[in-house]
Amino acid sequence: MALPTEAPRPGGVIHDIGYRPYTGPRLDTDAAARSLFVTGLLNAYGIGRSGRAKGLPMTLLALMVVPAAIMVAVMVTLRLTEPLLNYGTYPVTLMLIIVIFVAAQAPVLFSRDLRSGAISLYLARPLSSTAYALVRWASLFVAILLFIALPVIVLYVGALTAEADIAEQSRDFFAAVVGIVLLSAVLATLSGLVASHTRRRGLAVGVTIIALLVSTGVVTAVQAITAEAGNETAGLLAGLFSPFSLVDGVQVELLGGQSSFQVPPDTTGWGLLYLAVSLALVAGGLWLLVRYYRKQAGR
Amino acid sequence: MNGTISRLAFQSLFGQKRWWVLVALPLLLMGLCLLVQVLTSGDAAATSFEPVIVVFGLGLVLPLVSLLVTTGVLGPEIDDGSIVYLLSKPVSRYVVALSKLVVAVAVTVVLGAGSLFVAGLILDPSQLGQALAVAVGAAVAGTAYCAAFVMLSAINRHGMISGLIYVLVFEGLLASWLSGLRFVSVSAFGRRIAEGLDDSLNLVAGNLPVTYAWLASLVVIVAGCYVAGRRLSRFQLRGDE
Repeated sequence: MALPTEAPRPGGVIHDIGYRPYTGPRLDTDAAARSLFVTGLLNAYGIGRSGRAKGLPMTLLALMVVPAAIMVAVMVTLRLTEPLLNYGTYPVTLMLIIVIFVAAQAPVLFSRDLRSGAISLYLARPLSSTAYALVRWASLFVAILLFIALPVIVLYVGALTAEADIAEQSRDFFAAVVGIVLLSAVLATLSGLVASHTRRRGLAVGVTIIALLVSTGVVTAVQAITAEAGNETAGLLAGLFSPFSLVDGVQVELLGGQSSFQVPPDTTGWGLLYLAVSLALVAGGLWLLVRYYRKQAGR
Repeated sequence: MNGTISRLAFQSLFGQKRWWVLVALPLLLMGLCLLVQVLTSGDAAATSFEPVIVVFGLGLVLPLVSLLVTTGVLGPEIDDGSIVYLLSKPVSRYVVALSKLVVAVAVTVVLGAGSLFVAGLILDPSQLGQALAVAVGAAVAGTAYCAAFVMLSAINRHGMISGLIYVLVFEGLLASWLSGLRFVSVSAFGRRIAEGLDDSLNLVAGNLPVTYAWLASLVVIVAGCYVAGRRLSRFQLRGDE
């Protein structure tokens, strides 16, 4: 049965016990990144994981969309031509649900690999640690983006079917969507940083929820006090310290949306400062995240 | 009580840079008081006492500090399974639970009630009695919170999340609409106890009998110790998820 059908390779063969080599197409590193991105995005909603893991994100998504659906139903039955809630204020109104989703699902993408040690298997592959961190972040970012944008899209489509003014609705809608993109980026960065550094799911969830809610609570309280004392600059500065008020400021001043906070920025300069701080937050957070994963690769 | 177990629990709370997570909230509370004092140039006590001390201090900082401490004292060892080495020692499991709870309570009282005391003094330095009353109420409520969170984490596996839901949704969101919930809200007990100690305080606690507040806190504390010990004595190792 000795059938040496192939010509001996230039490197020389130590053993050839007759297994067929892989001759299919070999995908490049980009394909690995793409598939990691898609898997991460699906995992964030519990798809591809156990049934119990689907419970929380799907319930939260339902809680997020149901109010929008009810508002559309009310709009259509009462023949209103204005949405009940402004697109830009919707995320702030349902802040608690968004915060729980972000805090609960960031550890799925950032803690599990680090904790179980599977990270060393990922990093042994051609995908670099930098790319791994960025792809994980992108998965979380898109997951949060879909989570926040879906009910707003429902509201928009509802408003259009109820024959509201298309030009006006579209302008408000796109302003809100830009704000939502920025909010998702900020939330993904912060929660990803916390989840990768704490590694323990319970602690990561707690710290993220506490940080996001307490910062927003403090901003609201400080703005209320400064408004009473007539010190507007201090209130505007305070607004920089919570992701929600930060993005709200950008959305209000630069995109002409409606504010949900007491002291929104009222000049373009303040709007630009809010925008610069949020972009710096995302960039700095990503830099820290990439640096952390590089260190993991060096271990 | 077992000194060694308490010392190890204390180290696991404060070792390896973990202390800053615990210290952050009390520092934030005191910083907020200073900021309010600066912004309103001194006459802040009357208007900002309720939002800062009652809503933020007693309503958020105290329960969250207590939650972080309680889950930090018991949670990690159960999470990574190293608790079996502790439980295999010839020490009663009730003593193990009690030694850990004592550390949690002590840290909560120092960080939570202590920061509230300092915050009260910063807001109004002339009212030492008020600040002390708030601190005593916060100390009792903090102890009861520790016990309550131990019970919650004994009932289900996600102690941190169920604790947060209790604090944010049950006490924060629902209790403001359904005033009957004050009879089962640890936060209301603490506020009522503080009010009972100093008549000039008004901490929005409703008409809860002061004796009931003391008794209910005591019941929660004893029940917490019992449930924690029972949980450890029936402890079984299980997987991560």
